[in-house]
Amino acid sequence: MARGKAHAAYRIWAHSRRWLGLMALLALTVGFVFPILWMVTTSFQAGEKMFQLTTEWIPSVLHPENYPNAWSRANFTQYFINSAIVSIAVMAGNIVFCTLAGYGLAKFRFPGDRFVLLAILSTLMLPLEVTLVPTFLVIHQFGWMNTYQGIIGPLLIDAFGVFLMRQSILSIPTDYIEAARIDGAGELRILLQIIVPQCLPALAVLAIFSFRDSWDQFLWPLTVVSLDQYRTYNLGLVQFGEDYGNPPTEQMAIAVLATIPVFVLFWVLQRLVNKGFGLSGLK
Amino acid sequence: MTSSGPVKEMASVSSTNAESARDAARRPHRPARKAWRLHYSRRIQLWGVSFVLPTLLFFAVFKYGPMVWAVELSFTSYDMVSSPRGIGLENFESLAADPIFRQSLFNTIVYIAGSTALITLVGLALALAISTAVPGARYCMSAMFLTNLMPILAVCLVWRFLLHPYGLVNQLLAPFGVDRVDWLTDSATAMPAIIFVTVWRFAPYFMVVFLAGLLAIPDDYYEAAQLDGANAGRRFWHVTLPLLAPMIFFVIVVSALLSARIFLMPYIITGGGPGNATRVLSMLIYETGFSYMKMGRAAAISVVLFTIMMVFTFLQMRIFMNREQV
Repeated sequence: MARGKAHAAYRIWAHSRRWLGLMALLALTVGFVFPILWMVTTSFQAGEKMFQLTTEWIPSVLHPENYPNAWSRANFTQYFINSAIVSIAVMAGNIVFCTLAGYGLAKFRFPGDRFVLLAILSTLMLPLEVTLVPTFLVIHQFGWMNTYQGIIGPLLIDAFGVFLMRQSILSIPTDYIEAARIDGAGELRILLQIIVPQCLPALAVLAIFSFRDSWDQFLWPLTVVSLDQYRTYNLGLVQFGEDYGNPPTEQMAIAVLATIPVFVLFWVLQRLVNKGFGLSGLK
Repeated sequence: MTSSGPVKEMASVSSTNAESARDAARRPHRPARKAWRLHYSRRIQLWGVSFVLPTLLFFAVFKYGPMVWAVELSFTSYDMVSSPRGIGLENFESLAADPIFRQSLFNTIVYIAGSTALITLVGLALALAISTAVPGARYCMSAMFLTNLMPILAVCLVWRFLLHPYGLVNQLLAPFGVDRVDWLTDSATAMPAIIFVTVWRFAPYFMVVFLAGLLAIPDDYYEAAQLDGANAGRRFWHVTLPLLAPMIFFVIVVSALLSARIFLMPYIITGGGPGNATRVLSMLIYETGFSYMKMGRAAAISVVLFTIMMVFTFLQMRIFMNREQV
């Protein structure tokens, strides 16, 4: 009897511990997510409400007109098109060149291959923030100031992507490649039909992060762009804040719109990403 | 799953090809075949080189070239109007005496140390919380990860409003008896506030990295430890921590590299102020080069920032090389 009681008590304890854990985790999650919710709710708030001392989490009156108002105050259509062109080009460049280089470094032996790998990895210490002045001078010499290729150029390949693809391709058995070669498959066909289908999770991770990184680029466009028609959305948004004395509700409306593309891309590729991180064992 | 199709196809074809290859081997033309095979392996090598070559050329134009140029420029005075004039070490000497540069260098180091330590600790703590596998942990993970996907400019704008003297953070703290804090305009709190925002943005990313590492530790180890009577604390200290150590080191190095290049957060949230309390080296490079058109001096600051990043990159390469040898 006493044993049964102790067991019941243990079960209650285990059960409540589960709930306590869930509560703690939920509290943490809310802590991380509330600024995102604040951004969304603020974008629907009346402008004058911003200067009150309380925050209305669900606006009593929705103001969806903040969106068209903000959009029409500056050339945001053009800014978003520019950002899309730059980010999609950078994403495509990273996917193509990082896969090629990653494959070359993972599955081919040539003189100096190890040195090449280290040379590529070493560019991690040369982000644009460090090489800003000379990269600007290079783009200036190319005559690429205020052009798309000027913004895209230095961002086209990232060493982290090469490393990611190499590590992913390393785990593919070399036998597949050799079998395909014996069957007379060309090298490009091997890459496209054997390698690429097996590293889709890594490619999804690469796609999301290269898109996000170029979507986030601020310093580089700020440096090479001086004409309004080539501004990316973030240059436009900062300028908008400065020009109109920080109308928070409308700034947040643009911020929400800028957040959507990245969230959508993540949502589309999420299943593959979890696989890539090896999180499939998680409940 | 998607990959098995073509591979299977190849494998079935290869069995018939192997037979014909065996037939060919019986025929007495060995020397000619060997020569062809040599040629063949060289050809494969060439393919490998040509896959890597575009990336190398790209880095030569946009990374190595500019870095060499930066070092060269750092010994000159250059304003883009007249051609660069060699001035030896003058840039570095005047930087060493410049209080704004010294303050920025100090800020950069404080920022790297603070955000790296906190990102690693918070990331690890979050990963441990998620890995206890309470129901719904997966959704909490995805929700937290959103902070890492939100455009960084949106992050900066949102937190600039939240940390405003009349913003939400002070509203939430008021019931606990905390007086209104001017987070962003007080030089004592401005840098901690920016570090806090950095951790908010990046910790969930490293949470996912740590989580992958935690899930890779076999359950058997924990069961064995439990049988030996180890409590949760001891299991963490003697099983989790040693097995996770290489990954912790990796996260430290990567987040240090990440924070060394920070620009947008101080630029948007505080504008480098109050005074110069949050001015970091990347901001100083931009201002010196493009507001004051002192390209040589900006290049000299770049060389300093480069040196900081080089230390962390070499650390990273050492971990990488060690791991490859195992």
